[in-house]
Amino acid sequence: MSVTPELFIQTRQLCKQVSLPGNTLNILTDINLTINRGDSVAIVGASGSGKSTLLGLLAGLDVPSSGEIVLAGQRIDHLSDDARAALRARSVGFVFQSFLLLPALTALENVTLPAELAGQTQALERGKQLLELVGLDARMHFFPAQLSGGEQQRVAIARAFITQPAILFADEPSANLDSATGRKVEDLLFELNQSQGTTLVLVTHNPQLAARCQRQFQMDAGRLVEAVRHTQERSYAG
Amino acid sequence: MLVKVAWRLFWRELRNGELWVIGFALVLAVLTVVSLSGITDSVRSALMQRSANFTAADKVLRSSAPFQQEIFSKATELGLQSARQLQFNTMVFAGETMQLVNVKAVSAEYPLRGLLQLETPAGIVNRLSAGHIYLEARLAQILNVRSGDWLDVGAARLPVGGLIIEEPDAPLNLFGGQPRLLMHIDDVAATEVIQPGSRISYRYMFAGSDNALQALTKATEAALSPNDRWQQLDRQSAVGSALDRAEQFLLLAGLLGIVLAAAAAAVAANRYSQRHQMAVAVIKALGVTSAQARRIYFSHLLFVTVAASLLGLLLGLAANWAVQGLLGRWIEGYQAIFSMKAAWLGIATALICSLLFSLRPVWRLTAVPAIQVLRQQQRQWQLDHWQLLSGSVAVLTLMWLFSGDLWLSGMLFLACAGFGLCLLGFAALLVRVAKPMAAGQSSALKLALANLRRRLWQNSFQLMTFSLALFLTLVLYFLRAELLEQWKQQVPQDAPNQFLVNMTAPESAAIGAQLRDAGLSPGLFYPMISGRVLAVNGETLQEPEQEDGAVARNQTQAKTAGEKTEPPEPAKRQGFGRELNLTWLTDLPANNQLTAGHWFSGTAEVSVEQQQAERLALKLGDSLSFAIGGQTFEAKVTSFRKVDWNSLQPNFFMILSPDLMAAFPATYLTAFHLPKDQQPFLTALLKQYPTVSVISVDAILQQVTQIIDQVSLALTLILVLVFTAAVLVLVAQVQATVEQREQELAILRTLGARGRFLQQAVLFEFAALGLLAGVFATLLAEVLLAVVQQRLFQLPFALHYSLWGLGPAAGVALLTLLGTLLLRGILKPTPASLIRRALHS
Repeated sequence: MSVTPELFIQTRQLCKQVSLPGNTLNILTDINLTINRGDSVAIVGASGSGKSTLLGLLAGLDVPSSGEIVLAGQRIDHLSDDARAALRARSVGFVFQSFLLLPALTALENVTLPAELAGQTQALERGKQLLELVGLDARMHFFPAQLSGGEQQRVAIARAFITQPAILFADEPSANLDSATGRKVEDLLFELNQSQGTTLVLVTHNPQLAARCQRQFQMDAGRLVEAVRHTQERSYAG
Repeated sequence: MLVKVAWRLFWRELRNGELWVIGFALVLAVLTVVSLSGITDSVRSALMQRSANFTAADKVLRSSAPFQQEIFSKATELGLQSARQLQFNTMVFAGETMQLVNVKAVSAEYPLRGLLQLETPAGIVNRLSAGHIYLEARLAQILNVRSGDWLDVGAARLPVGGLIIEEPDAPLNLFGGQPRLLMHIDDVAATEVIQPGSRISYRYMFAGSDNALQALTKATEAALSPNDRWQQLDRQSAVGSALDRAEQFLLLAGLLGIVLAAAAAAVAANRYSQRHQMAVAVIKALGVTSAQARRIYFSHLLFVTVAASLLGLLLGLAANWAVQGLLGRWIEGYQAIFSMKAAWLGIATALICSLLFSLRPVWRLTAVPAIQVLRQQQRQWQLDHWQLLSGSVAVLTLMWLFSGDLWLSGMLFLACAGFGLCLLGFAALLVRVAKPMAAGQSSALKLALANLRRRLWQNSFQLMTFSLALFLTLVLYFLRAELLEQWKQQVPQDAPNQFLVNMTAPESAAIGAQLRDAGLSPGLFYPMISGRVLAVNGETLQEPEQEDGAVARNQTQAKTAGEKTEPPEPAKRQGFGRELNLTWLTDLPANNQLTAGHWFSGTAEVSVEQQQAERLALKLGDSLSFAIGGQTFEAKVTSFRKVDWNSLQPNFFMILSPDLMAAFPATYLTAFHLPKDQQPFLTALLKQYPTVSVISVDAILQQVTQIIDQVSLALTLILVLVFTAAVLVLVAQVQATVEQREQELAILRTLGARGRFLQQAVLFEFAALGLLAGVFATLLAEVLLAVVQQRLFQLPFALHYSLWGLGPAAGVALLTLLGTLLLRGILKPTPASLIRRALHS
């Protein structure tokens, strides 16, 4: 499969099946998707439609049953676990619905963790800058249990950007927050995405959040349909 | 960088409990192994050292053949000290007076252990000098000689150098015997007593390290004839038997303690791994490979293992050091021993516990896939076959390592596994039937029973481990109490500590009256005479080759002293090769029990000690021929007796019916307890009856009491260790349910349940679990106590009524207390904080 230079993520005939006792469940069927560098993409759909599974495959967290995936110019569907981990460490950032901060580490330590694991120097300085950017410089030594939900998600966003990833995957980033806090977190996410020039792929139920992305895909029973494509960049202020 | 992250996570994780439980469990296991191994070695060494004081050496080789210089050379080469000793009987003359004596001729190095005290005109000396002879006070009295007088010993004429005050290896000659004479071995040649065919006992005496002594035993194997015997600690003696039982008990208890500690470590490792699934998924999503995740989390296990091993080792060595200190205070000249074996065993235990119990959960943890970050719920881990297998291998290996007995380990392991499975089945059944019990109960109780039923698998497993932990503690508690009680009965406060021998019949009557007047309680006055068993049913017994009469006699005498020589290989109808001490009684003595036949009802009957009857292949009705002096007579075997050799009372292989012995002159023997403050009475009594001898066994009794005290201390220590391990298992188990309970409580609080209601429900749940565990534990403990008592310790079985109250009560109290303490953090907070914590857990 040839890769067009501006393409950043591409899938072809992507399928994911799960074997159950007595039958096989098709979670994703023939997903063909192209995402250009710098795009912001929302994948929407009902619960159980396969959104998160697709996100996991695109991010290299899981492998498909069949089909091809190219991420950041590299085919990843046949890579080993370790090679995919190395690719994630280099190029991918994550923001999760339930924040997934390590409870034993402080906000600053959570933020610097990916950089430290990748062996990057200057992690501490950059971590402090990012926490300042998300407005939590006063709470950098707090543990997650001492922070509110919104604050935790801001820490998670700072963590996602510490390695300056080329692509950011977000799974329902505001679903566990009240609407006002959620809105603020979304703003922050888009602002950072824009300022860092990151490609953004997010999965959400929230049509307003999806509407802030350049492209929207609808997942339905494991099949993907592009619902909206804006040719011009969307306003990150919503 | 990875190391930095691993180290930071390790320190932060220490706050969360599981690593502490794993660490503490490993400390306990190592401490148990090191302290137990060290304490049993110390007590054994103390016993050996005390025994060495009674034999004047660490090890003695007895032979009927002349000394082999090569054996002494080998001993010197191995760094051992050595001394020579000859024993023989001969006549000595003081002018017109003559007396048959037992001569002990020793080299200048004698004694290698213990204390020799000789009273000479120059004062008390501890070494004898060549050219002099030293006499037992009785002999000096018989011969009417003093220091400086001359005696003829064989062809030699030697001056009396003094009297023997204390002689470490003096036989406890309860039955009279020849008076003793001590001389230098260099003077023996001049006596010309040793001639071809003379009955001489040659004794090689050695002292030094255990390793060197073992090496010498091995090196001399080829040079020894079947009649050469190494003198050993008698396992049937009161001391040897007490130590054997203590070792068995400590071994059993130690094994159980280690298994409990390891189980606690396994439960804690499981919880640790369960709780960290999401953390591993997150760091993997962030780009960490499985190998890196393993490095991070295995390093935590490694830190804990190393730290716990070191701490356990230090604590174990400190316990050993304290015990050695106590032994040093109790036993004069005690030489402390520190063996590396205990330390290696401890480290091996930590590694086995850590690797085989905890490695698998951590391995599973690091295998959690990165995709887990997108799943909202953590996976509940099912029982892992590999963990079950590795845990089983670990338990078996630990048992084998600790006991050195694969068969015993295998049996114990299968018994534990069987117990576990039965308990699991019972627990599941009971928890399942708990639902109908909830009907009509208060709502808090209903909720508690519903909780029990809902977490059926988890609760059944918990119930099994709670029951096992309680069961082991109860078994150890009761066995310890029973063992100590039995030992105390064996050596009661008023156990006989003095033996009076050589009494004539009139003297025995008068002395008996004086003893009773003085408030003392003498036992039976046994009439006694020496005689030989010549034949069985007319078949003459084959005389075993032996050193001489003195040695053979010592074997009998040593029965009470706690040491004996190994008997020669039994041959068909082989005789005793020496004279036996015979007694005759109307009634069966208290510490004897008939095992076959009946007590005397006619004339010319004999009752034979069971083991000797087996040795001589006797049957009831057989006829034994005896010879006393020049007279012979026949007696029919009418009974066999089991004799309690631990009773510290005079015991006899052969008891004859009184009619047979009426014509023979006899001396009498009795034993009694003399309190320390009545010593002057005994001195006065002996002055009144100068031909009567007294043998004091105070030193032996003291030794037994000290060993029992020591073992009792070790038993208490091990009970505390096992109880702590049991509590640790309970803590680990309760901790393992905290997250799940937290989420359930959050839901119940959100739905409006009051804090007090939830507290009551948790209290009821743990009380119910405690009650069930207590009942199971009690039932199993009673069964095991019966088996262990009868099979392992040969104790009589009796139902333990107090166990039935203590077991369930302890179960309810312990579990309710632990449950309330460990869950108080999640029972008190507000619904909001609970929900937040539940989200974070």
